This record gives sequence, C-alpha cells and structure tokens, in this order.
Amino acid sequence: MPPTPTTPTTPATPATADPTAAPYAASGAAGAVALYEGVRSKFPAGSITPVPADAGLDQPTWIVQREVLADLARELRDNRETRFDLLMDVAGVDFPDRSERFEAVYHLYSVPRNARLRLKVPVAESAESDPVLPSLVPVWNAANWAEREVFDMFGLRFTGHPNLSRLLCHEAFQGHALRKDYDSARRWILTEDKIYKPHFDLPAGYLAGQGGQVQAAASTEAQGTPATPETSALPENADDDLFERMTINIGPSHPAMHGTFRLMAVLDGETIIASDMEIGYLHRCFEKMCETHTWQQVIPYTDRLNYCSSFINNVAYCRTVERLLGIEAPPRAVWARTILSEFSRIMDHCVCNGTTLVDAGGLTNFWYMFQPREEIYGLLESCCGARLTVSYCRIGGLSQELPPDFMARCRRLLEIIPPFVTDVEKLCDHNRIWLDRAVGVAAISGAEAVNWGWTGPCLRASGVPFDVRRAQPYDLYDTVEWDVPVLYGGDVYDRYRIRNLEIRQSLRIIRQLLDRGMPGGGFIVDDPHVALPPKEKAYNEMEAMIYHFKLIMDGIQVPEGELYLPTEGANGELGFYVLSDGTAKPYRIKVRPPCFPIMSTFTKLIRGGSVSDAVISLGGLNVVAGELER
Amino acid sequence: MNTAPMPQAPQALPAIPAAEPPPAPYPTTTRPYRQSMAERLYLPLVGGLMVTLRHFLLNLFHPGRMLTIEYPEERRSYSHRFRGHHILTTRPDGSVRCVACYLCAQACPAECIHIEAAEHPDVNIEKYPVVYEIDMLRCVFCGYCVDACPEEAIIMSNNYDMAYFNRDQTIVGKADLMKPYTFDDGQLGYRPRYPEEEAERAKMRREAFSLVEAARRARQEPGVPAVPAAASAPPAAGSPAPPAPPP
Amino acid sequence: MKAVTATTGESWITTTFEKLEDWSQRFSFWPFPFGTACCAIEFMSTVSSHYDLARFGSEVVRFSPRQSDVLLVAGTINDKMAPVLKKIYDQMADPKWVISMGACACSGGFYRAYHVMQGIDEVIPVDVYVPGCPPTPEGLMYGILQLREKVVRDRERLGRAADARAKERSSEQPDLGAPEI
Repeated sequence: MPPTPTTPTTPATPATADPTAAPYAASGAAGAVALYEGVRSKFPAGSITPVPADAGLDQPTWIVQREVLADLARELRDNRETRFDLLMDVAGVDFPDRSERFEAVYHLYSVPRNARLRLKVPVAESAESDPVLPSLVPVWNAANWAEREVFDMFGLRFTGHPNLSRLLCHEAFQGHALRKDYDSARRWILTEDKIYKPHFDLPAGYLAGQGGQVQAAASTEAQGTPATPETSALPENADDDLFERMTINIGPSHPAMHGTFRLMAVLDGETIIASDMEIGYLHRCFEKMCETHTWQQVIPYTDRLNYCSSFINNVAYCRTVERLLGIEAPPRAVWARTILSEFSRIMDHCVCNGTTLVDAGGLTNFWYMFQPREEIYGLLESCCGARLTVSYCRIGGLSQELPPDFMARCRRLLEIIPPFVTDVEKLCDHNRIWLDRAVGVAAISGAEAVNWGWTGPCLRASGVPFDVRRAQPYDLYDTVEWDVPVLYGGDVYDRYRIRNLEIRQSLRIIRQLLDRGMPGGGFIVDDPHVALPPKEKAYNEMEAMIYHFKLIMDGIQVPEGELYLPTEGANGELGFYVLSDGTAKPYRIKVRPPCFPIMSTFTKLIRGGSVSDAVISLGGLNVVAGELER
Repeated sequence: MNTAPMPQAPQALPAIPAAEPPPAPYPTTTRPYRQSMAERLYLPLVGGLMVTLRHFLLNLFHPGRMLTIEYPEERRSYSHRFRGHHILTTRPDGSVRCVACYLCAQACPAECIHIEAAEHPDVNIEKYPVVYEIDMLRCVFCGYCVDACPEEAIIMSNNYDMAYFNRDQTIVGKADLMKPYTFDDGQLGYRPRYPEEEAERAKMRREAFSLVEAARRARQEPGVPAVPAAASAPPAAGSPAPPAPPP
Repeated sequence: MKAVTATTGESWITTTFEKLEDWSQRFSFWPFPFGTACCAIEFMSTVSSHYDLARFGSEVVRFSPRQSDVLLVAGTINDKMAPVLKKIYDQMADPKWVISMGACACSGGFYRAYHVMQGIDEVIPVDVYVPGCPPTPEGLMYGILQLREKVVRDRERLGRAADARAKERSSEQPDLGAPEI
C-alpha cells in the first residue's frame, strides 16, 4: 500500500489518548493486533492481516483475503465481541502499480459498542475477466448500492449481488470512470435504446398469478425477471388480472421526485408491490474532480455535495485534511465552524420539512420555513460573500475574518428562527390531515434501519440514538449541553418531528457558544505551508511572498496517509475517506454521503403503500441529489 | 452461508455455524404516534388557522412588515464581501495593476481565466497582461483568484446583475473588467482587505478578549457561575480561548 | 398571423396583434423549472416570499411542458439527463424560451468531467445565460427581465423556432467524445 505514513505529522494512532479515537483505544492498548482475537481465530491463519497499530492509521484496519470476506462479515456482524452492525461505506481504490491492482475498503461501525473497523480486500485484475469479490448484501443491505457504485466506478464484480448494474453513470458508458487510467474528460453519448432496464423484486408467488397475496409475501425477497417499464414488465402467464396491474414511471423530471430521481413501480390497483429506483441524473464526478485538483481547490466542490447545508461539507472535508496534516484549526475558527455548522443544519432541516409538507400540499409551511433560511443566508453571506455555496472553510481555519457584526447577527437569528418553527408546529404537529398522511407511512424499525446503513435524524426517528457529535465528539460539541432527540415511530411523521426538535437543540448549542464569547486569536493557522500568509505580509515581505507563490503554484503538500473521519452532517454521518500519496493532489477521496444508504432503502419503504405515500416519504428522507450522486 | 463461488479459492473454508444475531439494543418494531381524541376531532386545526390568520392580518395592516423585496427598484443590502462580477483594479495612472503572474489562473478551480502576458515598458513592473479574459459562464465565483492575487489586482464587486444572450458576450475582457472600478466604493465586494471594517473589527477583537477574561474572572470567584456548567473544560490558563478541539 | 397578413394585405393588424401578444407574453412567463441541483434551491428562494417571482407574472410554476413557455434549466445537466431535457424541450409548445441558470447549465461550470454536459446548448438553444454558481435570486430575476426585453426584440420569434428546428435537423448531434478542455 502506498499510504504507509512514517512522518511524525501523521494522524494519531489508535492507541493514543485522542478523545475522538477513544473507542479504538478502549479496545485495548495493544492496538489492532490483539483486537477481536475471538473472531480472527475462527479463520485460517494468514487470511486476515491486521495492520500494526504503529502504522499510524486512524482506526483498526484488517487486510482480508477475499475468500473469507463473506464469512468474516457475517461473523463480525453477529459476534457479541464485535457486533459491527452498520456498514458505513464501501470504497474502491485503484493502484495501477500494484500486482493486486484494486482494493475494496469496507468501513464498519458498531452502534452498541461505538467502535470502528476497516477491512481492506485487495483484488487482482486478470486478463480474462473483471476482478471478483463476494457480495455482502446478505449480511448488510447497505452493501447493495455501495457495491453497485464500486462496480460502476472500478469494475469490481460482486458475485451474489441481486442486481449488479451501473448506478451512477448511464448505461451507455464504457469503461470505469474512477480507474486511474480513465481520462477524466472522456464522455459517452446516451441513446434512447440504452436506457436503464428496471429490476423489480417481485414478491414470491406473484409471478404465479397470486397477486392477491402480495401483503403476505412482501417479506420474502425473490428475484424477479428484469423488465422494461412498458407492459412487458410481467411475463405472459401473469396476465390474469392485468387490468389491475401496471407499471408506471415517475421522473426524473417530476416534482415529486425532486427533479433527479426516476422511480419505476409495479402497481396492483393502487398498491406498490415492487419498484426500482434509478439515480445518477446528477452524477457530476466529484470524486474524479478531486483527483484532478489540489487539496485546496476541492473545497468549492464540497460545497456542492449537500447544497442545502454546504458549510458542514466544508467543515467535514477541512477537518479530515487537517487531521491528515497533523494541524488543528485555531479556537476562533473552531468556534465559528461549530456555530455556522449548526445554522447550516437548521437550514437543511428547514428545507427538508418545508418541501416534505409541500409534497403533502401544505404550501404555507414552505413559506414559513424559508424565512429563517433566508435570514441564515444573510449571515453566511456577510461572512464569506455567497449565499449558498459558501466555500468559507479553508484547510487550517476559515477563509476570512468573521464580520464585525457576527455576534449581533447570530443573536438576532436566535430571535427570528423559533417563531417560524413554532408556527409550523402549530400548523402541522397535531393536524389530523397531516397525521393521517404521515403516521405509519414508510415506517422502518431501528434494527432494520441500522442494517440498511441509516444514520442521522432518520435513524434517530426509528429509536436509535446515534449521533456522531455525541458518539465521537469533535469541534466544541463536547463542551456544550444538548440532547439527542429520539423518537420511536420510524415513519414520515416522526422524521418530520425530529427535525423540528433538532432545530431547537441546534439553537441551544449556538446560544451557549455565543454566551461563551468569541475566542481571540486568528482565524486560520499561522503555518505558511498550509495557509496563505496575511495579505499585508504578502505585499511587503519577501519571505511571505515566496510562501504565497509556492502555496498557490504547488498546493499544500499533504503527507502520505489515509484517514476516514466522520462528521455529523444534516442527514447523518458524513464521512470523508481520504488517501494521500504525498503530492499536491488527493490520490482518492471517497465521500460517505449520509443519504446514500437511506435512498437505497426507498424501494423497500414504499412497498405495500400507495403512490401518494411514496411521494411523501421521499421528502421525509431528505435526499439531496448533490451528495447522493456526487 | 451465502458465499458466492470464488475463483481460485486456495483452501476450503472452515464451516461457521450461522449464529443467531444477538438482540439488538435498539427497537425492532416501530411505535407510531397515536392520535388523541382532540386530534381525531380536528380540533387543533383551529390553532393552525389562527396562525395563518395572524400572519394575514399582520401583513394586511402592517405592509412595512412584509418581507418581500421589490427587486428591480429595491435591492437587498448584501454585505461588502459579496462575490459578484470581477474587477481589475488600476494604478493611479489608469493602467491595469495586474502583473500577469498567472497565480489567479492557477488557483482557479474552474480554469476560467485566460492571460497573455507581455513586457511592460516600465522596468519596475516587468509584465502586464495583453489579454485578460474571464469566462463568466465557467466561473463559480469562489473567490480563489482574489485570494491568490499578490497585487490586489483582481477583486470582486457586489454586482450580481449579469445575463447574456450569447456566448460571445460571456467572455469578458480587460475593458469590461476594468470598467466597474469606475463605480463608487459601495459596489466593491470580496477583497483581501476591508478598510471600512477595521475599526469595528478592532472593537470585536477587544470584546472577544474581554468576554473571555470576564468569564475567567468569574470562575475564579467562587459562587458566581458565569460560564455554562457544561463548559467544564474551561479555557486553559494562559490561553484566552475555550477548549481547543480534539487534535 | 401570417395568414391574416396574407388575406388582408395590411400590415397594421399583424403588428398590433404581435404587440399585444408580446405584451401578454412578457408579463406572464410560466416557467418550467427543470431544477436538478443547487440552482434549484435558489430558484425555490426566488419563488418564496422574500423575492416572490409572482410579481413578474411568473407565479404559475408548471411542471408540465405543455403548459409552460419558459424552460428554466437550473442545475447541472449530465449526459444521463440530456435526453430527458431534450425531450421536454421538444414537448413544449411554441413560442418557447430557455433560460440557462448557473454555471453548470451554461457551460458545465467547473465540472469538466466524464459525465457532465458542457452547457445545455449542446442539445437545446438557449436565450438567456445567467452566470453564477448559483446566481442569486436577484440575478435570476434580472435574467427574466432581460428575457422580457428579448421577447420585444425578437420580432421573428415564430420563425426563429422553426429555424432552430430546421437547423437542428440539418446539423448532426455534436460530437461529445472529446470536449475541448
């Protein structure tokens, strides 16, 4: 592996007293070597190689032979010692120079134990076929889309996957875009005959003409025949009640699908019995663009991941690179980052609840929810000059000094926001029209949600109190008092309500931080290798001028290493998995978008409901296409 | 065990008994919200109607309270950090200040700046741009060019009124970029330095320190909890800052 | 109208009627928001109470191409979406205009990448380009006001649509293979 960091500036090892690394440290001071011995002993020697703890990795890492991967995954999930029940992410990495060219990287998380584990599976490329791996869909449902994405981007095949087809790129695409030998500007034209053929998970027995038993059979997964959106969706012998059954297509340019998703559903009367989702209509190659730009230039791209709360993306990315560099932002920057992150979270929740209620016909709430949003825009604009795509963070701090009226503006916002939230609550919380539409719709239990890889407010609405800000506190979240709201309905209504509750918690965090006062000091680190020197110096001093030129022409030199750092985005865990080969450009950046696993559950959520339920549940999931498809 | 057949499996796998997953520490069922009797009778709707009625009446009798900005006549007051149309600043003699060092073009993530340099007749200046073009359609207004400029030659205005009818208009050259600078200072946007902020910013710095000082003083006096109780990790002595983030 | 001109032989009827039509169209653009990304969020701001696009007669946001006359492309259009956009444009009835909002729709922005169309004018004609990433709501409204002016100026707009179609038929699909970088 190229990222074998040996420089002293590499991130903290798992065994240090670093608070964020505490979960790993708790697993034993001996580091990853002695970790989970009970699990490892069940597998043949040599099939699992733990990376030594002194290699400077951020979390325990095992290099796993692909032959044992499926069994190991099941064991890691079920063993009481490990209980890694949440598959965070599957990332592919391409090392053209190695004999085993590809690497599939699995990030696991254990909710009850608050521990993380990384599995790396090297795969060789053979001349006759694509590299092959076992699919982990039987163990974690979250692997479904994640593996499709890896297949799409790297061409790794997952045997046993129910529907291994392209996810983000279109069907006419040739080659695999994130391989290092793929030209980043090579495009392919999509023609009508190449469009995606949906794959329906029709219930067992349905094909035998037993359409009436849909509800009974809904739990058993069966592999239906691939079908086209037309009436040929069902085989010929299933036409006994064809009048009642039809396949409809919604989107991508449909307001209910938020403009970028395509839903194909098989209806029995009004009930959705199977559906398939096509995404990728906003795939804009974020990860490839990262590899062609310098570390600093990636920041504007991160803005456009979750564009409803772009500042949180900035923070998540900059924190990751800062950790890799071994620096930390000055207190004032951290303070401002925490406050503005919380404001961004409020904005995101406002958009989500507003648009959900619009989907349900409550347009008034949309106006009310957009008022606080406009006011927060004003604050962000006064800080950095842009309303939506802020690019306010820089590696090592902030791009500019806070505006002089920052405190006053924040305090004013604390006054403005609650009345509008209260108004919406008064309109909707106990409104039977909304209750009838939302309660019990698209419900999912906590255990299932974890298996599907959910995080964030949607998971907390299903009764699992997992919040990265609490589990692995960063910035200033461990110094303020706040609660993690939890609801147990797991349905659209509770997902709506929990966002209102979180808005109030965010306001509470902000109020405490404002009461504490603005820390003194600079807004960016005073390190000419990372941050541009102050302009006064750059104009007048030769040394500062040289640093200025060097930093812009060469970029920040990030030491070799790899790091996965989670941040609580507005939708859940926003993780950046970053690999550096020591040059000015990232070797690989993989984003773990919070809404990606949530969206992959959508077809399961809407099964058995009506089309109107599907529309309303999509809004409640708060899927933002920019980060879903990147 | 749902293991897919693997090519070139080196050894047989030991059979692992499929263990039952341990009971999850989180719910396996959902408990949906239950409607109360009042909600079944649609009673809370009255409260909702009062909300909309209140907004309606307030807007009706206090038109000044309405939030709508009558845009072409009335403009929202954006801050002087707004990232709008670019400006090439000039020297006192009216010539362009840019020295064609290509830093902005290098820093631009969209690669939308095109510069062609030439020798300047003045030896002290060395170079100047013969051509300086920005493709406004490519530009993402991130402000990186302003950050990169070592001469304060490119800054941004707060002008957002931009629309073009064809692509030829969208590549703006030196003439267009220098023209906005003849406008007043109120039109300046994102810049490296904000002279108008200096006084207020100095005040902010003083207040920042004084607030923390006050907190520390209050902490030393027993019985006066001025810091929030949660901030149990107080500012380290000697450092006026709240606790640093975890490294 | 041309038929009217031909039968009466008088030009004043046509001119007046066109003016009337111009006037009515100028003040009642019904936009079709083809919103995909960040710009769609700013479009939402534009129609919400702070900016209130309804003041320009555009409050009827239609998601049906048959009922709208301004196609407002807000957001990145990639190669997967391009056929959809083209189809929707073709479904709109004449006269129709296209506003390209934001850097991505105008030119691909800073996504010079394998899956992003380098400007929607690869597949459909564009009347007004609004730069910005995303443009502010004011910027978008300025673009709409500019489109108004353009409607007045476009005396031959009916012919223009036919021309565009003819031109489109004659010209091959642009080679997307290697966009110039």
